[in-house]
Amino acid sequence: MSSFMAKLQSGKGYLLSAIIVAGLQTLILGTIIQSRASILSNGAEVLLKTAPVDPRDFLRGDYVVLNYDISSVPVQTVSGGIPAEVGERVLWVRLKKQEDGFWTVTESSFHELPPQPETVILRSLPFYSGALAAGDNMRVEYGIERYYVPEGKGKPIEEARNDGNVAISVRVSADGSAQIRSLLVDGKAVYDEPLY
Amino acid sequence: MYRGRLERDLSLWVGKGLLGQETAGALLAEYDSRPASFSLGRVLMALAAVLLAAAILLVVASNWEAIPRLVRVGGILALIWLVHIAAARMLARGATAAAGGLLVIGAMSFGGAISLVGQMYHLSGDEQTVMYLWFTIATISAILFRSGAVAVVAGFLSWASFAVYLENNDTHWIGFDPWMAPLMAVIVIGLVRYTGAERARHLAYLLLIGWLAWLYTLYEEIAVALAFAIGGMAAFVLTAVPLPRIASLIRSAGAAPAFYSFLVAVIGFLLLHIEIEDGWRLVVLGVATLAASVLAIALHGRDNGAVRYLAYATFAAEMLYLASVTVGSILGTSSLFLFSGLVVALVAWMVIRLERRFSANAQGERA
Repeated sequence: MSSFMAKLQSGKGYLLSAIIVAGLQTLILGTIIQSRASILSNGAEVLLKTAPVDPRDFLRGDYVVLNYDISSVPVQTVSGGIPAEVGERVLWVRLKKQEDGFWTVTESSFHELPPQPETVILRSLPFYSGALAAGDNMRVEYGIERYYVPEGKGKPIEEARNDGNVAISVRVSADGSAQIRSLLVDGKAVYDEPLY
Repeated sequence: MYRGRLERDLSLWVGKGLLGQETAGALLAEYDSRPASFSLGRVLMALAAVLLAAAILLVVASNWEAIPRLVRVGGILALIWLVHIAAARMLARGATAAAGGLLVIGAMSFGGAISLVGQMYHLSGDEQTVMYLWFTIATISAILFRSGAVAVVAGFLSWASFAVYLENNDTHWIGFDPWMAPLMAVIVIGLVRYTGAERARHLAYLLLIGWLAWLYTLYEEIAVALAFAIGGMAAFVLTAVPLPRIASLIRSAGAAPAFYSFLVAVIGFLLLHIEIEDGWRLVVLGVATLAASVLAIALHGRDNGAVRYLAYATFAAEMLYLASVTVGSILGTSSLFLFSGLVVALVAWMVIRLERRFSANAQGERA
C-alpha cells in the first residue's frame, strides 16, 4: 500500500491520481444527472398546487420555496399503524388525481405502499416525528421544495402566484423519488426544462 | 513569528561567540527551505486559488441564462479535468505551490458542479449528502496528491458540513449524522499528519470544541460540564504522561493536543461556575480550578506557551471571581486565599528543589 502511494506521488503517478480524482468526480456527477434525467423521462406525471416565496441559497443561487398542499399530510390518512416511539422515519403517500387536475393525498403509510392503478406513490425525505395524535397534520418534504431561478428572476413568479395559480408538474419514479419537471403559471411552463 | 525569534536568538549566540556567523546563516537558510515556512509567493498562490474558486461557485449560483446548462456542466467538468491534469504535471515538475492552488480549485469546483446539478434538477433537502460527497472527494484528492492545501479545504468543508447539519435540524440531535463532525475531525487530523499541513490541525480541534459546546447546549446539566472538566483534564494529563507509544504520537502533534484538551477542561470549569453559584460546592470548584491551572503550568508550562498563558488567565480569572463573589464572607475568602497561597508556595518550593536536582544531574552526566 505504502509503495503504491509512493509510486502515485512521483512523475507519472501524479497523472494517475489526477485521472482517479477527476474521474471519480465525473462519475458522481454523471450518476446524479442520469438518475434525475431518468425520472424525468420515465416517471409518472403529477400536478401539484403551491404557494411560493423567494430566498437564496449560498451555492445554488436564488430559488422559489415551494410549499405544497401535499406537504401537510393528515394523520387520519395513515394506514398500517403509527409508530409509537419518537424517531426519524419515512412516509409513503398515495396520490390520486382530483377533478380539478391536481393530485392529492388519499392514503399514507410508514411502510411501503403497494401500487394501485391511477395512483402514484411518493416517498418523503426522512423526517423526525414525535408522538402523533389522530387530528394532527404531518409536515413532510419530498426533495422538490425549491425551484431555482436565474439571479433576480424570482419576483415575477412570486407576483404571478399572487394573481393566479402557480402549479408544479412533477415526475415520480417507481421507487417514489420525485423530480420537478416544470413550473407552470396559469397552466404555462415558465422555463424550458430539458432532460440534460 | 518563530523565524523572528530564531533570528534574534541566533544573532545573540553569534554575539556571545557560541556560534559561528556561517553556521547561523546556514541554520536560517535551512529553516527557510522547509516547505511549511512562510513564502509570499505560496500564500498569494493560495489566495488566488481561493478567489478563482469563489468566482466559479458564484457563476454557478447566479444561474446565468446566457449559457445553456448542459454547456455549464460540460464547462465545469472540463475545468475539473484540466486543473487535475495540470496539477499532476506541476507536481511531476516539483512546482508544489502552483499544484496546490490548482488542486484547491479542483476540489472547490466539485462543490460548484454538484450544486449546478442540484440547481438543474431543482433538488432540495440533499444539502447534507452534498457536503459528505464534497468532503469525501476533497479527502481522496488530499490523500492521492498528498496535498496540504486540499487538506485545508477538507478542514473547512468539515465545518461547513456541521453548519449545514445544525441549520437543517434546528440544532437538534437526530440520527447518526451528529457523529459525522467528530469523525470528520479525526479524518482531517489524519490528513494533516499525512500531508504535513500542520496549521490545518486547528480546524479539526476547533470543530471538535464547537461540537462539544453544541452538546452542552443540548443537555445543559452539571454532569456534562463536569465531564468536560474531568475528561479535558484527564486527556491533558495523558499528553504529559511519559508512555513511550503515546508520547511519540503526541510529540509529533506539537502543542495542540495539550492546549485543546486543557481548553476543554477550562470550558468545563467555566460552565460549572455558571451552574454552581454558592456554598461549599463553590469552594471545591474554586480550589479545583486553581489546582487545575497550577497542574497545567507544572506539566506543560515550560514547553507549551499556549497552555501556560491559558493557565495564567484561568488562574487570574478564578482569583478575581472568588474575590468578587466572596466565599461565605470576606474573611472566608481571605482564609481560602491564605490556604491556597500556602499550598502553592509549598508546591513552588518542591518544584524549585526538583529542578535544581535535575539540572545538577544533567550537568553531572555531561561532565
